[in-house]
Amino acid sequence: MKHFIAIILGMGLISLAQGAKIDWNGYLQTDNRLQLINDYDFSWREYRLNLTAELKPFNRAHFYTNFWFRSLGFPSVKNSADLGNRDKLSPFDMELRSAYIDLYGFLLKNIDLRIGRQRIAWGSGDKVNPTDNVNPNDLEDIWDYGRHLSSDGVCASIYLGNYTLNAIFIPIFTPGVLPTGEWKNALVPAIDLPAGLEPGEITDSVILPENNLKNSSKFGLKLGNTVFGYDISLSYLYGRDDLPISQKLIFSPDPTTGKVNLRSELFYPHMHIFGADAAGAIGDVGIWSELAIYYPEKVTQRMDLSQLGMGITDSVILDNSIYARYLLGADYTFKNGFYINIQYLHGFTGERGADNLEDYLFIGSEYSFFGDRIKISPLNSSLEIKDFKDRKNNLAFVYAPQISYQPMDNARITIGTRIIQGGSNTKFGKISDNKELLFQVRYNF
Amino acid sequence: MQNKFKTIIFTSAILLLPGLQFGQKPTASDIMDRVDKVINGPLDQKITMELKLIDRNGDEKIREIVMYQKGNNKRMTKFLAPADQRGIGFLSLPNGKMYLYLPAFQKVRRIAGHIKNNRFAGTDMTYEDMEAINYNEKWQPELLEDNNDYYILQLKPKENIKTGYGSLKIWVLKDKFFPTRIEYYNKKNKLIKILTREAIEKIDGCWIARKSTMENLKTKHTTVISIKDAKFNSGLSDNIFTKRYLKR
Repeated sequence: MKHFIAIILGMGLISLAQGAKIDWNGYLQTDNRLQLINDYDFSWREYRLNLTAELKPFNRAHFYTNFWFRSLGFPSVKNSADLGNRDKLSPFDMELRSAYIDLYGFLLKNIDLRIGRQRIAWGSGDKVNPTDNVNPNDLEDIWDYGRHLSSDGVCASIYLGNYTLNAIFIPIFTPGVLPTGEWKNALVPAIDLPAGLEPGEITDSVILPENNLKNSSKFGLKLGNTVFGYDISLSYLYGRDDLPISQKLIFSPDPTTGKVNLRSELFYPHMHIFGADAAGAIGDVGIWSELAIYYPEKVTQRMDLSQLGMGITDSVILDNSIYARYLLGADYTFKNGFYINIQYLHGFTGERGADNLEDYLFIGSEYSFFGDRIKISPLNSSLEIKDFKDRKNNLAFVYAPQISYQPMDNARITIGTRIIQGGSNTKFGKISDNKELLFQVRYNF
Repeated sequence: MQNKFKTIIFTSAILLLPGLQFGQKPTASDIMDRVDKVINGPLDQKITMELKLIDRNGDEKIREIVMYQKGNNKRMTKFLAPADQRGIGFLSLPNGKMYLYLPAFQKVRRIAGHIKNNRFAGTDMTYEDMEAINYNEKWQPELLEDNNDYYILQLKPKENIKTGYGSLKIWVLKDKFFPTRIEYYNKKNKLIKILTREAIEKIDGCWIARKSTMENLKTKHTTVISIKDAKFNSGLSDNIFTKRYLKR
């Protein structure tokens, strides 16, 4: 709340001094989901007020802030003392999503500078972007895939003829947000215990990098131009992966249960990422592609079974050799207004190493009628192909159709479902119990 | 004085156009050439307009946009209202290059030609209708009628021209060479939409319709465009028609 008051107060003072007007806008969104199994448990409850304030004190400057005020989750009262704790009764949080200033024509007419907490979205894909690695992933809500946190940093955009050069610097490392529950398990590789051992308590600790230039900074460059009618860009990024990897596993016996407890130590490896993306059209069909070539630091995982009398072994779980994630996409709108979008992805978020990359197909669709009052997305789906050779156990799909109704301008009510089916080896298959019905209401102001 | 001089030069040039000399009836092509010169006359324009969308039940929705145009092939449109569309930007450049900016994603996306046949922002205009147009480049005209007030022409697409329409029928005011009514026919020669223009006036030396109405005969949906502010030939910079500006 202090951030909010300080920023708004600051903008208010600037606005008074410059005689400029603060432009407020945003939306209120409610999002409730229930599982389509057993007792129809509620699986998600979110009430979000998105508030944006913008100010243009003069032609060459622009302030922008975006806050989320949220009540997310369910009451977590455990005892009578908790009944006096509002956070336990109705969890609430405030998040400063963005706060930056743009300086247009900084030093030279052809340089724009953005300083502060900002989203730097790279890549030409639609929400699925292998080259979009500047900001940390925000996987809190996996169904809002493509969401990222903003980063505190500087982005300079230099315009030289048809060329655009982006240079970014982010001094402090921020880890990505992981999903909760079964989705977290789906994204984190399973640990195989030695035969005959039964898993007990699993704990972990996260080793954050030291806050200094060498260990926590990220920097990158992106150069874009139009070649033969296609928008093409090349990029380079150096920094830490925002999703953790386990570098140490310590197994210990639990004398009370007879099971084996596991303590894991997680850290964030450095990576060089070389990217390329292109967007254009073949005839009237929109096409785009992205290629991200990763060159990570070598990660050796220590498996300490000494307390079980089985010794210590070291194994390389991420080699310092290159691997590539890539995307191919196309979209088309038929004459009757039906829109379809298909994207093929090699390598999902969090998949690392050439041998661990899987294949995915994402389909999006949209059709509006009754003067845009009703919008349907009948074909929205995802297909996961873990192994082409053994498709029976290594295929999974998610079918997520939606229908929304706009009773008036700025208001939209959405109902949708997610049906998940797949082999237990697959990511989607691991969460196939999460069949959901969702109900969202949004009002923009 | 300078304006007067320009007017004399312009008038002389028009009079000397082939087929438009005294005593000679203009051909269909001459008429559309004049129309092109009138509607594409301004070097640049900035127009703020309100779009009223009226459905078959009479329910109304209001959109407000500002449109910048330079020449007849660079156009930038930004939404000012309603709140859920504010900040959306659309940039149209030569050779069919189009970009869309969605503030929620803070990202400029390239969009392909398939969008041209679709309705622009829920209106009854397609993206093709919203493009700056040079009739003589795209359409083959035929004069159907020459009455006291109007030239009435039929336009058929030239070879290798991509359009969502089979033909157009256009009413051109004889004294202003300004089209005031356009009927849009589909490829089966069925009338599907009618555009009418009213309150035609001159601003900064350029003709403009203060009010335009597009009626979709199939859906019974209507869009009324009212010009709130218009500025012509104000020397808009080329920088406006860039991805850099689209994001601002």
